[in-house]
Amino acid sequence: MNFQDAINKILHSTGFATIEPGQGLMIVISLVLLYLAIWKKFEPLLLLPIGFGCLLANLPLSLMANTDEGGLFNFFYYGVKHQILPPLIFLGVGALTDFGPLLANPSTLLLGAAAQIGVYTTLIGAVALGFSLQEASAIGIIGGADGPTSIFLAAKLAPHLLAPIAIAAYSYMSLVPLIQPPIMRLLTTEKERQVKMEQLKPISQTVKIIFPIASTVIIVLMLPGVAPLIGMLMLGNLFRECGVTARLHETSQTHLINIVTILLALAVGSSMTAATFLTWSTIKIIILGLAAFCVATAGGVLFGKLMYVISKGKVNPLIGSAGVSAVPMAARVSQKVGQETDKSNFLLMHAMGPNVAGVIGSAVAAGVFLSLFGSGDAGAGHTAIEALKTITASLGQ
Amino acid sequence: MPPLLEAIQISFLAMIVIFLVLGILIGVIKVLVHFLPYTEEPVPPARTQSPVAATGASQEEEHIAAIHAVLAHHLGKAPQDIHIQHITSL
Repeated sequence: MNFQDAINKILHSTGFATIEPGQGLMIVISLVLLYLAIWKKFEPLLLLPIGFGCLLANLPLSLMANTDEGGLFNFFYYGVKHQILPPLIFLGVGALTDFGPLLANPSTLLLGAAAQIGVYTTLIGAVALGFSLQEASAIGIIGGADGPTSIFLAAKLAPHLLAPIAIAAYSYMSLVPLIQPPIMRLLTTEKERQVKMEQLKPISQTVKIIFPIASTVIIVLMLPGVAPLIGMLMLGNLFRECGVTARLHETSQTHLINIVTILLALAVGSSMTAATFLTWSTIKIIILGLAAFCVATAGGVLFGKLMYVISKGKVNPLIGSAGVSAVPMAARVSQKVGQETDKSNFLLMHAMGPNVAGVIGSAVAAGVFLSLFGSGDAGAGHTAIEALKTITASLGQ
Repeated sequence: MPPLLEAIQISFLAMIVIFLVLGILIGVIKVLVHFLPYTEEPVPPARTQSPVAATGASQEEEHIAAIHAVLAHHLGKAPQDIHIQHITSL
């Protein structure tokens, strides 16, 4: 081999020789995500690893895309494909969540249900734009403003749309403080925004312990498809409330959720390749996602207005917007918009009720979709067996 | 059936299911809260301080409070307008 051949061989073994325009554009998109995460602080815990995963996946010859057999992120992606990581995130969310405000004012669960209207109007919009019902369901759940639920459902019903759905869900969740307030102000009067709600009653510890068990039984009996999500959410909450599993509670709400977030976000980022992301579907999903958030917010606020009328002015409609999940940011937005009208009005704890209800509501909405369009492998047991079979088969090769 | 009509039907049905499930949860919570109401933890009995056991420091604080009140009354001022800076035993 002469010197010229050696130089040529080295040049052809680098990524520069094989980089394609689509990969170049995806690298730019990954840098935008990193910019938004680091300098604009938009959901940095998620957008940063997603952006970096996208960057690695699009560097030529890196073998870091989720579809690259034997690559590192291919293994991480098992956790998404087989619905392992989103339920583990829910375990951490359950450990972090205080259901107290919801238990003290259970009617706020209805606000969490009303905000799911965003999911279904988006479903109709997505079908009108040419998506299949399964794809439209996975897109619609963006309106639930719940990242793990969106990923869980997309992985089951439309895995090819996972990346744009996850990006839309997390991007709009970070934009909740910008998207929601104008809608909230538009749909409420100053008099309604001034309503001061009664102080929440304290709840006995026994009720806090029984609630996660009872709600798991009821929801999973009615919608078995959502068992992994609801089961883990409520188990995490039981760790928190039972008082005898301090170490498990501590681990779930700190180290476990952090580790799983890294794995999940990198796996999602690695699915953002030019072939899957640079499509018209992505643009449609981004637009539909925004519509989903707006309609969900409006649905919550309008139902809040209904509760204001029924309760004869005791419910502040602003807490309705928190029904879109996005814990606790949506509740903070209710508090902030309420204080714009009256600085002495503290809505945060009242908004936490519909906010937590939104988490349950979006999981229930996902359960309805799985009951309608799922392949029947509803329970975690089946998916776990499927995952084990796949791993065993890949080890045997 | 056209997909759009099917999507509308599904949406309508799904919203009913969501309200039904969450409505049942509301009922369960109401029953739980009704039968298991919150009761305040029994407060441990406060430690009573016998005059003999009282420390010198708390006695001094009581004396300062008493002097403060008497001075305020005598001078016709509000208690917060008087600041005792130094006490010397005679």
